[in-house]
Amino acid sequence: MRSLLKLFSPGLWIVLLMAVVSTVLVALLPVRPNHGMQMWTFDANHAKIAGYIAEDWNRAHPSTPVQVKLITGAALQTRMLSGFYSDTPVADLIEVERSMIGQVFAGPVADVGFVDLTDRLDRENLRTGINEPSFSPWTTRGHIFGLPHDIHPVMLMYRSDLVEAAGIDVSKIETWDDYFRLLRPLMLDLDGDGRPDRYLLNSSPTSLFYHEVLLLQGGGRLFDNANHPKLNEPLNARILAKMATWYTGPTQVAAEAPIGGTSAIQLIREGYVIGMLAPDWFAGQIRVAIPDMAGKFKLMPLPAWEKGGRRTSVLGGTMLGITKAGPTTSAAWAFAKQLYLSSDTAHRLYDVARIVTPIKANWNQPFYDEPDPFYGNQRIGRMYIQLAPEVPVRPSSPYYPMTQQLLSSVVIRLCRYADEHRLYDVPSLVPEAQRLLDEAQARIEAQINRNAFLRADR
Amino acid sequence: MSTPDHRPLLRPSTLVIYVLLVCFGLLTLLPFLWMICASLKSKQDFYTSQFLPPGDGLFGVAWDHLSLAQFVRLFRELPVPRAMLNSVFLASVGSLLATFFCAAGGYALAKFKFPGRELLTTLILGTVVLPGALLLSPRFETLYHLHLVDHYLGIFLPAVAPAFGLYLFRQAMVNSVPNDILESARIDGCGEVRIFFTIVLPLIRPMISAYLIIAFIALWNDFITPQIILQSPELQPLPVAIFELKGLYAADYNLIMAGTLVSIAPVMFLFLLLQREFISGLTSGAVKG
Amino acid sequence: MKSSRLHSPWTPWLFLAPFLLSFGAFIAWPAVRSLMLAFEQTYGPKTTAFVGTANLRFLVHDPFLWTAVGNTIVFTLAAVVLQIPAALGLALLLNRSDLRGRRFFRLVFFSPSIVGLAFVAIMFSFMLEKRTGLINASLHHLFPAWNPDFPWLDRYVMPSLILAQLWLSAGFYMVYFLAALQNVPGELLDAAHIDGAGAWQRFWHVTLPEIRPVLNIILLLVVTGSFQLFDLPYLLYNDTAGSGPDNHALTVVTYLFQTGFRSGDLGYASAIGWMLTLVLVGFALIQRRLARAEES
Repeated sequence: MRSLLKLFSPGLWIVLLMAVVSTVLVALLPVRPNHGMQMWTFDANHAKIAGYIAEDWNRAHPSTPVQVKLITGAALQTRMLSGFYSDTPVADLIEVERSMIGQVFAGPVADVGFVDLTDRLDRENLRTGINEPSFSPWTTRGHIFGLPHDIHPVMLMYRSDLVEAAGIDVSKIETWDDYFRLLRPLMLDLDGDGRPDRYLLNSSPTSLFYHEVLLLQGGGRLFDNANHPKLNEPLNARILAKMATWYTGPTQVAAEAPIGGTSAIQLIREGYVIGMLAPDWFAGQIRVAIPDMAGKFKLMPLPAWEKGGRRTSVLGGTMLGITKAGPTTSAAWAFAKQLYLSSDTAHRLYDVARIVTPIKANWNQPFYDEPDPFYGNQRIGRMYIQLAPEVPVRPSSPYYPMTQQLLSSVVIRLCRYADEHRLYDVPSLVPEAQRLLDEAQARIEAQINRNAFLRADR
Repeated sequence: MSTPDHRPLLRPSTLVIYVLLVCFGLLTLLPFLWMICASLKSKQDFYTSQFLPPGDGLFGVAWDHLSLAQFVRLFRELPVPRAMLNSVFLASVGSLLATFFCAAGGYALAKFKFPGRELLTTLILGTVVLPGALLLSPRFETLYHLHLVDHYLGIFLPAVAPAFGLYLFRQAMVNSVPNDILESARIDGCGEVRIFFTIVLPLIRPMISAYLIIAFIALWNDFITPQIILQSPELQPLPVAIFELKGLYAADYNLIMAGTLVSIAPVMFLFLLLQREFISGLTSGAVKG
Repeated sequence: MKSSRLHSPWTPWLFLAPFLLSFGAFIAWPAVRSLMLAFEQTYGPKTTAFVGTANLRFLVHDPFLWTAVGNTIVFTLAAVVLQIPAALGLALLLNRSDLRGRRFFRLVFFSPSIVGLAFVAIMFSFMLEKRTGLINASLHHLFPAWNPDFPWLDRYVMPSLILAQLWLSAGFYMVYFLAALQNVPGELLDAAHIDGAGAWQRFWHVTLPEIRPVLNIILLLVVTGSFQLFDLPYLLYNDTAGSGPDNHALTVVTYLFQTGFRSGDLGYASAIGWMLTLVLVGFALIQRRLARAEES
């Protein structure tokens, strides 16, 4: 025995021992087969609510129970695409965020991994009862592949404690220009290092989402209703030129506490950003993340780009889709309806996450009128619902994520251009903005034209 | 080889060298220290201090603010134990198989003459230059057609035949296995399999240990392959699982740091135990002697 | 060869079989198949369409790819200029037999290379945070003029990646240099010393030529490794699948991965793969020729 041991190094024996033990354990702990239907979601609040509804459902339908699983967005996207591309196991029902859906629609319509819901929605007369714009991100080439979860109107969340202490009256604010002018005194340098430690808007050139939010609010757009890219429209160039003056130079008023980044909550707590673009879900997240800051935030409709302009925008969006791989499409559809259409869900959704439902029949529910102590007793549910009809439409395109990134690139380059040439006024930045947008438009068109599958379907 | 003590290359005062070494050493270790501190701190303390939270305790540190709560959470509430098992399983079985297959293949190429040997050797060694990324797509396609996507075998089968490993073992066989021993064993009537196990493998013992550790660490740290091939969370190893945790609990910095620490610790331990073999194995391909 | 008579002609094949099976299925066949795929467009492995030379024609004018190539070249150059001297410097510091704790320091410097890239990405994503991250906080603490909001990950994408990679791999290459330095004959250095050569001259005229072969190999390793940079940017910029702000983190392999496994186009991904292969093989051949020319 000793001689056998000495034949090889201790390393080999250690690894061999690990191999034997782990093999035995892996063999003894077989992967549990999933029981009933699976539902994947990427958001903890969604998972919580779906869990409640699933409990009710499972009592009533013991033969087709639903099990809800929470997975990160990135992993959900990879696993979903892997399932659609190569038949790896996927859930029966998947909640998909707007930024993840693009690739699902990049192949032939027949290859979309979700069940086409268009006929079901028409047959059961469900379409008219749901906020029409909410379907748009889930529709490709005339087919609807998901039930919409939300509207996600955007308001401006601001540090009411700091603003009110400075004696600023926000009711006088109508436009972004008003907002920045009135709040400018709040951009203080607290530690005396010559740099502001407070900014007025939570956004920066590298932001992936906020440019689109502001662009859509101002009437700009990335795609037309037929999913053709419209990045280089002149209005877009004017809006971006103005945004650049917010982001850089002596006129800078915006900096970012990147949401989802590790330091965001701490920076928000410190008052690094006085104002934030806040869709309903964000209002829900903040009140859970920093409950001790209750009473220090309030919401107001977005300041408009021009007097009388749109006072809201849209950020994010989720659908529930039924995968073709699932064996029980009709049971999945029944659960999906119970989860998304019921007033119980609408209530829970508002209660847990402050998200307002796209189901018009539920808009009159009294809970939307309850004052929210976290937001200085504002009736924020009603405020969001009142903005719902104004929410801009967003057509879907497989090239949406790429376009979003290109938009971010344009803003980054425009700011660099402004810094290099020391140009910080809108008129001198418009031509460069237009040039950059033309370039981005050409890029996205080239990518779309390359796709043989989209071509074949047209 | 030993170098004479009075070797004069770059010899300012030894003190300067020590100061430099300690400085660079600290810079190298700082991220580790920071991570250990972060994993022990509460979320509130994470921002008030970069390392240990200040307080009234010994050395002005608030020792009572530190806790192992995040480690408990990792193993009690989160799927980290399963991911750890998967990592141990994939790395240990994979590295053993790779070492064995490469040793056997290297032996055949180094110690036997057979038609096609030269061609085969050139072919296999030629693929060393192919970047891994080139093979990613077609390999995934092949695994898909073999129904091995989302299966442990989808990781093992491609990992057990690294061309570079074969090259290392072929070199080792040429250098340390004398032909006379093999011939006399055959004359004594030893079977080929027995010769391989009882004579050849012990002779290349250092190479085996070294390659085993290299393969183990490479498999342990691999992110992209399990990310593509394995989809079920029950099958995924630590790098994928911890990265998933970072997405789900983005604000629980201490938890993520604890998870990272737990994932690094086992290979660190193995490396400390076998560092001499590891380093000599790494350099044996590049440096003679 | 006497031995060939003593064993059956099948014996070598028996030993080779396990290796060859895996090699054939997962290296040789994929290499061939990737050539075919380069002329197809796919939507996952299930749906494919033959597109002829469309992939190759698109590749030549694909601005994303050329952005990726540019970023990759910048990273590679920085790796050559920083990692190799850093590794050699550490090795020279350690290469003294009278140094106490030499093995300890070697261990310290080498230890980051054991850490997987996924974990390095997690660590650096925390450390490079503005205001709260270790790097900005310490620099601001040491030098108050340092901007605590210094946008490492937002704007200084390549410096961030280079910094992380330097921490990770300087000690790794150091080990190679150290092994090579220990093979430099002491007599040569002694002779040079007696001839009155200074430290720098001894390094330049004696040590450097002696470790030249290892230097060449490390150069090859650094270049081929850097050219295949993927995990670090992919994980640090996970929200954009590795592109980073204004595509500043996009590398060739990241783009290949995005095309193949996000968009599902294994065909175009293979075309990119072959371009990468040609560049790397080309570099290896040129470097070998130069090394040979030096020797003769």
